[in-house]
Amino acid sequence: MPDITFTHISKQFPGVKALQDVSFSIKQGEVHALVGENGAGKSTLLNILHGVYPEYDGEISLFGTPVHFRNTHEAIQQGVAKVHQEVSLVQSLSIGQNILLGYEPRKGRFIDYKNLHAKAQALLDELQLDLKSEHSIYGLSTGEMQMISIAKAMYHKVSLLSLDEPTASLSNRETEVLFSLIKRLKQAGITILYVSHRLEEIFEVADRVTVLRDGQYIGTFETRDINREQLIRRMVGRDVSAFAQRLQGRVASSEVVLEARHLTKKQVFEDISFSLRKGEILGFSGLVGAKRTDVMKCLFGAEQLTSGEIFMAGKKISINTPQQAVAAGIGLIPENRKTEGVIKNISNEDNVGISCMHKFLRWRFVNHGRKRENFLSFVPVLHLTPPDPAYATSQLSGGNQQKIILARWLSTDAEVLILDEPTKGIDVGAKAEIYHLLEELVHTGKSIIMVSSELPEIIGMCDRVVVMHEGKKQAELEAHELEEETILHYAMGGVQ
Amino acid sequence: MKKYSILMQREFAIIVALFVMLIVFTIVDPIYISSGNLLDIIEQSTINGLLAIGITFAIITGGIDLSVGSTFAIVIVTVGNMLKAGVPPFVAVLIGLVLGYLLGVVNGLLVTQMRLQPFIATLGTMSVYRGIAYVITGGWPVLSMPSTYRKMLDGDLIGDIPVSVLILFAFAFVGYIYLKYLRAGMHLYAIGNNEEATRLSGVNVDRLKTMAYGVCGVGAALSGMILLARLGTGEPTAGQGYELNAIAAAAIGGTSLAGGKGSMLGTLLGAVLLSALKVGLIVAGVDTFWQFIATGLIIIIAAYFEIIQDKIQVAGYGR
Repeated sequence: MPDITFTHISKQFPGVKALQDVSFSIKQGEVHALVGENGAGKSTLLNILHGVYPEYDGEISLFGTPVHFRNTHEAIQQGVAKVHQEVSLVQSLSIGQNILLGYEPRKGRFIDYKNLHAKAQALLDELQLDLKSEHSIYGLSTGEMQMISIAKAMYHKVSLLSLDEPTASLSNRETEVLFSLIKRLKQAGITILYVSHRLEEIFEVADRVTVLRDGQYIGTFETRDINREQLIRRMVGRDVSAFAQRLQGRVASSEVVLEARHLTKKQVFEDISFSLRKGEILGFSGLVGAKRTDVMKCLFGAEQLTSGEIFMAGKKISINTPQQAVAAGIGLIPENRKTEGVIKNISNEDNVGISCMHKFLRWRFVNHGRKRENFLSFVPVLHLTPPDPAYATSQLSGGNQQKIILARWLSTDAEVLILDEPTKGIDVGAKAEIYHLLEELVHTGKSIIMVSSELPEIIGMCDRVVVMHEGKKQAELEAHELEEETILHYAMGGVQ
Repeated sequence: MKKYSILMQREFAIIVALFVMLIVFTIVDPIYISSGNLLDIIEQSTINGLLAIGITFAIITGGIDLSVGSTFAIVIVTVGNMLKAGVPPFVAVLIGLVLGYLLGVVNGLLVTQMRLQPFIATLGTMSVYRGIAYVITGGWPVLSMPSTYRKMLDGDLIGDIPVSVLILFAFAFVGYIYLKYLRAGMHLYAIGNNEEATRLSGVNVDRLKTMAYGVCGVGAALSGMILLARLGTGEPTAGQGYELNAIAAAAIGGTSLAGGKGSMLGTLLGAVLLSALKVGLIVAGVDTFWQFIATGLIIIIAAYFEIIQDKIQVAGYGR
């Protein structure tokens, strides 16, 4: 008997068919992965299942009984819970208080803390999590918080747990802990619906995988009967090389565009020197905590260096503010698209034009037509969808948001582009597009610094790679030296 | 920007509310719709309107300025004293504007350089500025302003259009052009919506924010000088609590206190709405105490309107 069955599920938003006639079922006690590009309808389906979107066509049945959740609370009461993409825990409360939030045991009118912590601890122990109920949430890693969110769901005796991109901000070790937890939950008969962009994970953890594309059901496959390439092909509906690789040959010249000497930020990183050549993609690899992002922020003037020198085209320049960096021809595409990149409630044309408004001035007034033309000029180059200049950028898919930020810097004619984790949280198709764009850019004479934690991306795309470890430059590798083992060796602190 | 149909726009909703008010109060007493009374409503809205337009700039950046009422008082007593000392009105007005701007810039510097929260920073200067106004006059009012000054700011121009109303409209118009057609205006909205991303786009966020508080001070200065002209006397106690009316007008006009959203037309209409309500209740002979209740209810209704608007937005575009 299938645990959950979706029958002819459709969901319409004004102008968009988010889901069209999706039918499939999930078996009890399996780990069922849901994959598809951004905008394929995964989130919509989850939101329907969990009662976030109570209005839809079609039918969902739970153990053969039709159900229709009007809100998340109803879903949880029926044993259907979701761990959110962004962990939502109350920072000022203890672990136990968070797990039992809203269901605190009471003695008279007062909270019975002894009982509360006993219950929470029993649950934590059962899940084999090395956490103490009395401890504060504050200062825990994202991974630990995710475990607590799962424990919180378990407290409500769920039979189905949805995990939406659970590993997006986890380290490798934390991911392993999560996977072993998932396996234990599975043994306990709990059904897991697992949404992720990371295909490796799906093959590691899922029993079956359902593919959605443009709101339509493509198929459900046993993970052991399908390989990565076949899965990608079904997701994108066309053959794309999801693997980062240079297709057009390398164009790095010997001309140095930017040189950094002995960059140091006290207690963060020290003595970082490197040079960037024209037409080159220079990678920055390292583990979490290698302080690569801080180096980039200093290079862009968003954080301050303690000492060190920066040269552009052989001339020493000082960069203390982002304005100076922009004037010097440097652009930064930050790691956190949502908080540092996209400006919400602002239209596409403004998000693209914000760094170069001076270009659209007629006398001193902004000419909205020119600003619009600037946006539209990037639509064919970057394949922006929707190509609507007035559309709010924050409503776009991750890949399109990233392209908007890219367009922002291309509008400024920046010579040096710094991309910090450019493909984080972006689906396969958009990733391939971004890689292609980077290659086009170096062909037009731009120079790129790319910080990335994805080794295939570093190896496939970069001409040279700087490897950092805990604030120090550990190695500088040429293209022919790039191998996963070598990079990891240095990233983990190994020496030459 | 967000796409609403015209019917869902705040400005339209206020105009509808104004018409409803017009009809109701006219039924109560037909004198309400007389041209003299309508002009009076607009004239009554100038003091609050100018403050509100200034404060809209601060709020758009995600800030607030509680000190406008005190800035207002400093400008009143300073300009009043200058006029008494024989400074030509035109010069006194210019100095008043610069003074208002500088007092605003001080707020801006507290926010951008000392990184204080705008609410706290301007709560502090609200008290400091009020104190300065008292110190300047020793607590006494500045009396008998010269009639040339009073005519200049509160006389009638072409026909019986009061100068003060023209100043209000001119200030709002300049603000409108600034927000819509200067790049600084677009940057202000961006700051209110995501300050960090705007900073990382190479925008000089600190300078723009400081200037927004400066504009706030200019609004307070204009407003204060008009009141001085209207009353002929200037008191250091003037403008107490005016910041709240100004915030109310901006909020009714659709300015989001979270930042990133607001318009000159909305704020202007918000100020006119408050004034129309006040005059209407007087015409209807309603006890003044009820004005407070009515004003408060209007603010709450306007805020609720915003929530409904957002719900429709989410249902329409969420995915």
